[in-house]
Amino acid sequence: MNPSSDMNATPQERDALAGEYVLGLVEGADRTALEQRIEREPALAASVESWRGHLAAIDATARPIPPSPGLWPRIEAEIAAILPAAERGRLKALKAGNTLADWWNNLFIWRGAALAGALAAILLAIGLNGALDRAKRQPVMVAVLLTEASVAAAVVNTYPDGRVEMVPLQNIAVPEGKALEIWTLWDRTVGPRSVGLIDRARTTPLRLDQLPLGTNQLFEITIENATGSPTGRPTGPIVAKGTTSQAL
Amino acid sequence: MIGVAQRMLKRRALAEEAVQDAFVLIWRHAARFDPQRGAGLTWIYAILRNRSLSILRDEKRTETSDAPIGEETASEEDDPETVMSKLSDAKALHACMETLPPQRRGLVLLAFVQGLTHGEIAGKLALPIGTVKSWIRRSLISLKECLG
Repeated sequence: MNPSSDMNATPQERDALAGEYVLGLVEGADRTALEQRIEREPALAASVESWRGHLAAIDATARPIPPSPGLWPRIEAEIAAILPAAERGRLKALKAGNTLADWWNNLFIWRGAALAGALAAILLAIGLNGALDRAKRQPVMVAVLLTEASVAAAVVNTYPDGRVEMVPLQNIAVPEGKALEIWTLWDRTVGPRSVGLIDRARTTPLRLDQLPLGTNQLFEITIENATGSPTGRPTGPIVAKGTTSQAL
Repeated sequence: MIGVAQRMLKRRALAEEAVQDAFVLIWRHAARFDPQRGAGLTWIYAILRNRSLSILRDEKRTETSDAPIGEETASEEDDPETVMSKLSDAKALHACMETLPPQRRGLVLLAFVQGLTHGEIAGKLALPIGTVKSWIRRSLISLKECLG
């Protein structure tokens, strides 16, 4: 059925269409057209909302699945990236209101604030879950990176979920305009791959993504240009290196 | 939320992607939320479901691997009658679903829980697509009458 052509549909047809929409059975161009109608027609919008309310009971039967440890940081990072623009918008809205009363009466801001509050509560619950998760995680493999003088300069921890992080144990002098690049080598024929670039010694996640990870795998830190090695291979002096071993 | 997305998308990574996208959309559109029109949680789930459906349809279009997601077997937990048995007795929906013949209620649940299209449901149950469409439509009309 073409949803834009039945403006005079009976309430029964309208409810059935709203139901199909909420089930996800209205697709493509029909879906777009129907969404525009929902914006315009309060009765249709109310029917959609009623279906969503009733069918929510089905969503409640889904097995709760705890988020993987990386999910929350990813959401945070994505929201942080769009936040400055949103904040600017809010400031503009504040300036547009001339008096405090205008601002007080601005439903838009209150609605946003109320929802932001609700959202914060949900996010907090998820964040808390994540924190508990983090506390429980133990590294499966550890590499201690030693300097030429055999001083431990950093540790690379790998976790059961595939996450890898580098934790410096001492300050590493980085010359002006240079950076620390972290490499891993698992196969001499493939050569070393860059897994991280940091401006100074600090704890940092390493991006191993699809790279293999096993015991006796070499990790090393070299001094490179601030934008990373120009050749994609280590070119500067080696600060520290070490190989992974299984944690007990 | 991940559980809801995973029932449609089957793969954990895709389900998490849907949840991530949904949160960012929720954040972006927070000001557009209209409390007059519905509860916050329903709105959040509507965004998640929309996002999951888009990912599901896109993946099916562009999937090049040997195992398209639509054909990945749904877990037994997502089977219509299992879902039905988990549905809270306290909800009006449970009682109204009980009034439908099991096969017809199954069609409604397959669409909602697994995000299947009319065509996919028809293929899965070896029914003509027209029958699937009209059964779902009639089931919705009966449900609406029962739910009020």
